Amino acid sequence: MMYAHFPVIAVMGLFLGAFLVEIFGTKNKYIRNTIVMIFVLLAAVLTFALIKPVMVNGEIITYWMGSWEPVEGWAIGIGYEVDALGLFFGLFCAATFVLSAIYSFRYMDSDDHLGHYYTLFLMLCGGVLGLVFTGDLFNMFIMVEIITFASAALAAFRNYKFGALEAGFKYLVIGSVGSSMILFGVALIYLQTHTLNIAQIGNEMAGNLTPVTILALGLLIMGFSVKAFIFPFHTPVVDSYATAPAPISMMFSGTVNKIGVLGLIRVLYQMFRVMDKEAMQMTLVVIGMATMFIAVTCALAQHRLKRLLAYHSISQVGYVIMAIGLATPLGVTGGLFHAMNHTVFKGLLFLCAGAVFYAAGTTNMDKLGGLSKKMPLTCACFIVGAFAISGIPPFNGFASKWMIYLAAYNKGMETGNFLYIAATIVAVVTSVMTLASFIKVTQTVFFGQLKATNDYIRDVPLSMRIPMWIGSALCIFLGVGYNFVNKTILNPAMNAAFSAERYFDVMMGDPAAASAGTNYTINLSVWNPILWLVLFAIVFAAVAIAIITTKKTVGKVMLSGSDNQDPDGKYAVFFSGERSQYSHVVGSDMFWGFRKNFSKYFDVFHKFHNGNVNDYATYCVVGGIIITIIVFIFVR
Amino acid sequence: MIIINFVVSVLLIFLGLYCVCTRKNFIKIVMGLGIVDYGVNLFIVSVGFNDGGTAPIYALSDLTNGAASHFFVDPVPQALTLTSIVIGACVQAMALSFVIMLYKRYQTINADEIRGLHG
Repeated sequence: MMYAHFPVIAVMGLFLGAFLVEIFGTKNKYIRNTIVMIFVLLAAVLTFALIKPVMVNGEIITYWMGSWEPVEGWAIGIGYEVDALGLFFGLFCAATFVLSAIYSFRYMDSDDHLGHYYTLFLMLCGGVLGLVFTGDLFNMFIMVEIITFASAALAAFRNYKFGALEAGFKYLVIGSVGSSMILFGVALIYLQTHTLNIAQIGNEMAGNLTPVTILALGLLIMGFSVKAFIFPFHTPVVDSYATAPAPISMMFSGTVNKIGVLGLIRVLYQMFRVMDKEAMQMTLVVIGMATMFIAVTCALAQHRLKRLLAYHSISQVGYVIMAIGLATPLGVTGGLFHAMNHTVFKGLLFLCAGAVFYAAGTTNMDKLGGLSKKMPLTCACFIVGAFAISGIPPFNGFASKWMIYLAAYNKGMETGNFLYIAATIVAVVTSVMTLASFIKVTQTVFFGQLKATNDYIRDVPLSMRIPMWIGSALCIFLGVGYNFVNKTILNPAMNAAFSAERYFDVMMGDPAAASAGTNYTINLSVWNPILWLVLFAIVFAAVAIAIITTKKTVGKVMLSGSDNQDPDGKYAVFFSGERSQYSHVVGSDMFWGFRKNFSKYFDVFHKFHNGNVNDYATYCVVGGIIITIIVFIFVR
Repeated sequence: MIIINFVVSVLLIFLGLYCVCTRKNFIKIVMGLGIVDYGVNLFIVSVGFNDGGTAPIYALSDLTNGAASHFFVDPVPQALTLTSIVIGACVQAMALSFVIMLYKRYQTINADEIRGLHG
């Protein structure tokens, strides 16, 4: 049972490393980097060593702090419990720590006060890993608070950059409102069940929901939604993503919002076990749809690369929430797989954006262009990431998105509920808009004309390229080898989400007599050729209809309000349609016409993200109240 | 269980949230966060309180001989409250240091004027 000590050593090591960096690593950069690397690698190795007992042998590892074991079925001490679900999140979080640390060494090299940077970095890592492994609700709250502090401070770390401080402050305010609501929910649960252990709470409350616990459910959903950056709680996070250093943006999208998702799964599937209620499923699906669609449309209007990526990050989490809300084995598998894939490809994209910033000194897309000539390898990595996030086969984003489409469609066919069909359509449309948006980014940043002022640019150093290569390789591996991934880690994780009784039995009772839990298996039909033929037929038919029904206007773009025509079609691509003849639209505004036609819609969301911290807090509170009311009326 | 404590703690939480949502001054927003914290802390302490209970310190003989002496105040919520107070203090310290930095940068702490990132 040596394995039992691994999770706690991994978490403690990261916190210990945070203080060692502060003591020994403030002066000498080699000592500092060595300390960071040792503890991050230690955490990763210990986490990956748990694959064999937890994923393959199906054990659940329990560890009681200070050997305060449960007495007569009542948890006394704080327990760590690593089931397949927690370990699944732990695996890609730990991998993100390592890649982010390697990238940081060179990327942050020119900043000062790096001792503090790595202290906060290791605190963030420790908080994330602690939340993933813990089996105690109050411990979860502590870890959430540590993550909030560290994230807010890291978002504002480059405080000489415009907006960094206000982004950190906004994140801190909204984050603490969310954390306070989590704490209030924890107190309400303690009032009802007199325990803080997640497994035991689940057992006490199974089929026994009172108004007090329903209120707690609403508050906990709100609190973890703030951490998962779901609409309408995402507003301050967009700023933080954009101002944080690139490796920290990678940590935000790869780990911080994933622990929000994990918290939601723990609350909904394992503690309250309310996912069999249709109202709860529909609520989550609607939230997921709103998140993915609104965020992706906001991304279309962005001019700054990292802010655009931030909106895409939020949009992709919408897929995960929607898939979890389906509560079918295929849906949950797809959701978990997409959570992992999102970590990989979004981390890769943020690192590429960081490379662009490192080389060119700006992420404003109006000032960039033609970088593929100067940094070809970064360009290649970015294209891999862009294809993956847009769901193009054979990259990983396609495999998980396909699973989510299938799950939503099947669920709609089974229940006859139109909402799930609509969810499928919204998911596909969002994917198309993601692709459109990334065509714009790739065109404006990496292709097109190189600005004369950017002629000095060189590609980034090797230690920054290695994490990007690893990310690209993972994008392809996860997309091609999805069957292997499904068998080894996804399937145990999905079954763990459905096996709350087994979780309780192992934690509290006799592990030998634990119930077996569910044993769903998924037959993946990602490469079903008939479905592909149907899809291509629909696409070709749509294109043919579009060609037949529209007049031939190629090369004859009309200017609004005048009779002037563009004689040779030279400007047709980037033609604005403004009254003044041949006025160019910059490449980063490629979807000018789209924005013009839907300007009312875009105006609403431009005003929604108005940068005022009071308004952001109001959205947060109103969103929480609405969720609580829905839960009160429909879930009981 | 003391009803007035519950009522007051919920009132404090809503008061704090109202303050965060409507006050334009950043220092007042931080105060609002503090008030939310105090409300939650009061709630947690009240959860564990038993009127007339004693401290949970017993000799073994007390536990084995009679039932009346077992009536004690639950110590777990008090431990939670202590932790939560420390965290609340940290939140405010950090938020106030943000406010100082923001004032140095923008020469104002009005929420309407500090919104460079939007859209």
